[in-house]
Amino acid sequence: MNTHNDNAHDNGVHDNGTQVDETLRWQLRGLRRDLEPQADLWPGIAARIAAAPQQAATVGKSRVRRFAPWAMAASVLLAVGVVWQMMPAAQPQAPADNPMIRQQAVSMALDYERAFAHLQQADTHPEMHGAFGELDRSAAQILSAIDADPSATFLLEQLRRTYARRLQLTQRAVMT
Amino acid sequence: MTMLTAAMSESMTDTTTAEVAATTDAALARSAAAGDAGAFESIYRRHAGRVHGVIVRLVGAQGVRAEDLTQEAFVRAWQALPKFRFESAVSTWLHRLAVTTALMELRSRRGGPRFDEDEDALDGLGMADSAGNGTALSMDLERAVATLPPRARAVLVLHDVEGWKHEEIANELGMAVGSSKAQLHRARQLLRGRLGGEA
Repeated sequence: MNTHNDNAHDNGVHDNGTQVDETLRWQLRGLRRDLEPQADLWPGIAARIAAAPQQAATVGKSRVRRFAPWAMAASVLLAVGVVWQMMPAAQPQAPADNPMIRQQAVSMALDYERAFAHLQQADTHPEMHGAFGELDRSAAQILSAIDADPSATFLLEQLRRTYARRLQLTQRAVMT
Repeated sequence: MTMLTAAMSESMTDTTTAEVAATTDAALARSAAAGDAGAFESIYRRHAGRVHGVIVRLVGAQGVRAEDLTQEAFVRAWQALPKFRFESAVSTWLHRLAVTTALMELRSRRGGPRFDEDEDALDGLGMADSAGNGTALSMDLERAVATLPPRARAVLVLHDVEGWKHEEIANELGMAVGSSKAQLHRARQLLRGRLGGEA
């Protein structure tokens, strides 16, 4: 009905001065920028979250569902393993800044993250969460290190081992 | 962040950097969801500027209040993380949570004068303290946006600054899509008036 007019307003086509609206919209888009808080808010947040319980994660709906994520994780593990085997041997003299390492790291991380996302739907033992946290943190640190030094081929292997360990533990937690 | 080689295209660089950031966020979030406060601090350090930025744009940079809301948004994120399904990027999820937190604050003021529809009563309220930031033009624009009536400002910020669609805005603000469009039109008119037609 009035969709056309509304859209026209959105686009600034029939408003007073097409050029003015277009310029204004570009300027408004330019306001989208980060703004650090003037004070470090972390101490206050830390104090509050220490007293704030996290919401319980949604656990698996039934035992039947457990095996779907397990199968998914297994296939991802296999796929990652195959890709890893097919990769050329780590270049002993990698170029100073090797974008391939970052790309491989991202690809590997995304594959594993997908598997974890599926596994997360299943029941896991709470006592395993500490170990999961350690490994996730390690993976994040390795990814950051790769981002900072894309020539470090050994980090890729370290990342693969960390993720493999994480997946192994997750699978164990789901199966038992 | 290390600069990539010139051999890599600019877009590829941006994509890869964004993917590394997203996967790092996901790993940290997974760890934080299991109760790792250290991982959550890393998430805070990585996203405080983005979260605070959108909150300031929505409620105005009224010093402590905007910072209180930023803190509140992160506490809510901590509480909600175990239920996060990783179906969107952590940064996207946090951004939306920040918007929701800011809008809840605006809604809580709905009965008061600041969320009324009478923009004439609102002149001078919510002035952004942006001294020292950006150009004179963007400062003027920021200030002009900050003086808009809260509801019109929220729609304008979400649509024209954050890039949301009317359907998303309407859903978040609990209004009809047509109302969102009308508010946007009104906000732009008010803004042009306040900028003296120089925009």
